[in-house]
Amino acid sequence: MDDSEEDKQTRRLSPLFRRLLKIKVWLIERFRLSERQVTLIWAALIGFLGALASEGFRKASELLHYVATGSNLGIISSFAQLPWWQRIIVPATGGLLAGLTLWLGNRLFSSVRQKTTTDYMEAIVVGSGIISVRASITKSLSALFSISTGTSIGREGPLVQLSSLVASLVARMRNFPIPQRRHLVACGAAAGIASAYNAPIAASFFVAEIILGTVVVESLGPLILTSVVAAFTSQFLHGGEPLYKSPGFNLHTQWEMIPLSCIGIIAGFVAPAYLQLLRWTERLISKIRIPIPLKLALGGVIVGTLAILNPAVCGNGQGLLRSLFHQGWFWDEILAILLLKLVATATAFGSGVVGGVFTPTLFIGAAIGMLYGQAILYIAPGLQSDPAMYGLVGMGAFIAAATGAPLMGILMAFELTLDYALAPFLMVNCVVAYYCSSIFERRFMYGESLERKGAAFFNQQLAEVNIRDLVRANPITLPKNATFAQIAETFVQHRFQHIYITDKESRLLGAVSLHDVKTFLDRPELESVVIAADIMNEDFPCVSPGQGMGEALHKFSAAHCERLPVVDDLSTQRLIGSISKTDIILHLAGDQNR
Amino acid sequence: MLVISRKSVENLRAAIFIGDLKAKSDTEAIRKMLSALDGRPQVKDFDKLAAAVFERQQTDPSLFPGGIAFPHARTDSVSALVMVFATCKEAILFGNMMVRLIFLIGVPKHAGAEYLEIISFLARHVRGQQTVSRLVDAKDLSSFLSAFAEPNG
Repeated sequence: MDDSEEDKQTRRLSPLFRRLLKIKVWLIERFRLSERQVTLIWAALIGFLGALASEGFRKASELLHYVATGSNLGIISSFAQLPWWQRIIVPATGGLLAGLTLWLGNRLFSSVRQKTTTDYMEAIVVGSGIISVRASITKSLSALFSISTGTSIGREGPLVQLSSLVASLVARMRNFPIPQRRHLVACGAAAGIASAYNAPIAASFFVAEIILGTVVVESLGPLILTSVVAAFTSQFLHGGEPLYKSPGFNLHTQWEMIPLSCIGIIAGFVAPAYLQLLRWTERLISKIRIPIPLKLALGGVIVGTLAILNPAVCGNGQGLLRSLFHQGWFWDEILAILLLKLVATATAFGSGVVGGVFTPTLFIGAAIGMLYGQAILYIAPGLQSDPAMYGLVGMGAFIAAATGAPLMGILMAFELTLDYALAPFLMVNCVVAYYCSSIFERRFMYGESLERKGAAFFNQQLAEVNIRDLVRANPITLPKNATFAQIAETFVQHRFQHIYITDKESRLLGAVSLHDVKTFLDRPELESVVIAADIMNEDFPCVSPGQGMGEALHKFSAAHCERLPVVDDLSTQRLIGSISKTDIILHLAGDQNR
Repeated sequence: MLVISRKSVENLRAAIFIGDLKAKSDTEAIRKMLSALDGRPQVKDFDKLAAAVFERQQTDPSLFPGGIAFPHARTDSVSALVMVFATCKEAILFGNMMVRLIFLIGVPKHAGAEYLEIISFLARHVRGQQTVSRLVDAKDLSSFLSAFAEPNG
């Protein structure tokens, strides 16, 4: 009786219980945060922290600049006030300190650097999303010395580096898996660019287009959120004005559209030459066998000497851009500063100064555009062209041509000016510039660096992988007198492309390929007539555990197969297992997922 | 109906036919058939070919129900597929089977598909007892090949 009462109780409760359970499941399904949503939340936080890190660097840079020059004005104005000898001493000392920092960092943290990376692009594209803290701080400190003392190099490099480092630390603290970690470091990079240029859309597309190589929503969404948060944070700290406020351009005549649409062609042809100049200078300076502190000091001396001629060469070019767009420069002044800036930037880049070339490149594009605008004004005064308009379009077109990222070029130039009237011309010229540049250039500004890092990473990974570690024991084998029926049956049972044929001592005799026999698998008449020895490939390649992964891959490519037999020794040929391409790929991926 | 390639048809037409082969053993029969290939332009190394055929026979003699033997070898001692067909009025003992039809085939190592195709063609067509009888009664290569074309009884 008691039992039956209990049963009744259970029956009464169970529908309610089931309903509650259903509600619980429904709530969990609807409101459980997916990995993408979690990434989005962390992306916003990284945007905020990245902007703070950038701001910290900016303040430190201003402080050090004051210490070095005794002035709290902009770099160009400060240098203009310095006597000629100090214009050399300041960047030379800055270079020396920057070099000493790098030298010391290399000595102290070399073991750390081997395990992690200091480069945000490497961490995103080929690394594990882990950026070395000590080495990053070393690089940022070195950049701080160079940038504060007037070297012609971009500040955006260390800003992005620090923001990415913050993102990497957050991802590591939360113990996120590799793909998410990489994605968050990419968000950090976007935060750095957004706070450096107050350009959240361009920052998102810079990372998506140049570093990730994709603009799919899954990756772009968190980048946009990070960039917007970083830009808002920077705007809160500095104000929300665009970096180069456009005075508001108007076309005086529709005919002006023709010359205005041709800037992209010029930018597209000049940008590859500019990239060549950077590479050539880098090669030239690398031949000078002196310690890195002296090399950077020498770079400082060169910039300082140029600063005697014109102090405007100092700094990343941001102040120069403002001046170019808002003050009426003559064409000979623009040409002179363009040439000086080219030399100063190439020297700084070539000597190995830590920093970016993005802002100097923007200036060079703007100067080329301005010169072209001046020429149009001279040739066709009736058009009443405003050279500044040509300068702004040239800036976007040139950066698109140099980076190989037209979308980013359009958005960057648009966001830096916030002038919608320029947008159609930016769109046309950035795309044209990119296509013209592509004729001569296959390795764009950041692509070359990524390519080098990718290749180095791959080679290192391959060198570390040992065939012995990846051997799968007990491969499918058949004796040489196995009938065609047995061969067919084995192929049906196992999804392998090759069956290895061995003798009684397990010596590898060859391999039967599915490709060779697949047409005949449905022919019973062959079952008793043909044996493995009749159809096996006796020259099938094999590897031994002692061989390198490079050799294995070479044999894979020659044999066009998924698996290779592994023998104990190439002379005795005793089969001990097999190694597959998939295992190598999984091993490489798994190595990163540790 | 098995469709074979033009190349296989050419190979069949280029085969050597030995009518009413007489031999006391399988080894003698194979040796006699091999000797028909000696001096042929496709045969690069006759001794090597003979060794390969006998080695293959030792591994696993290819016999087909109805008294048919397929001594063959995949060897680089031939530059192209070579075939010798022999009929035996008096059956010869191959292993534990009395054989009346022998197809000796030498095939280069690179011609695996060609080899499987021709073997498959021959094996499929000698399944019918009437075809075997017609083949054994053939006087020359032409009538031998014609016997394949006639429907199985």
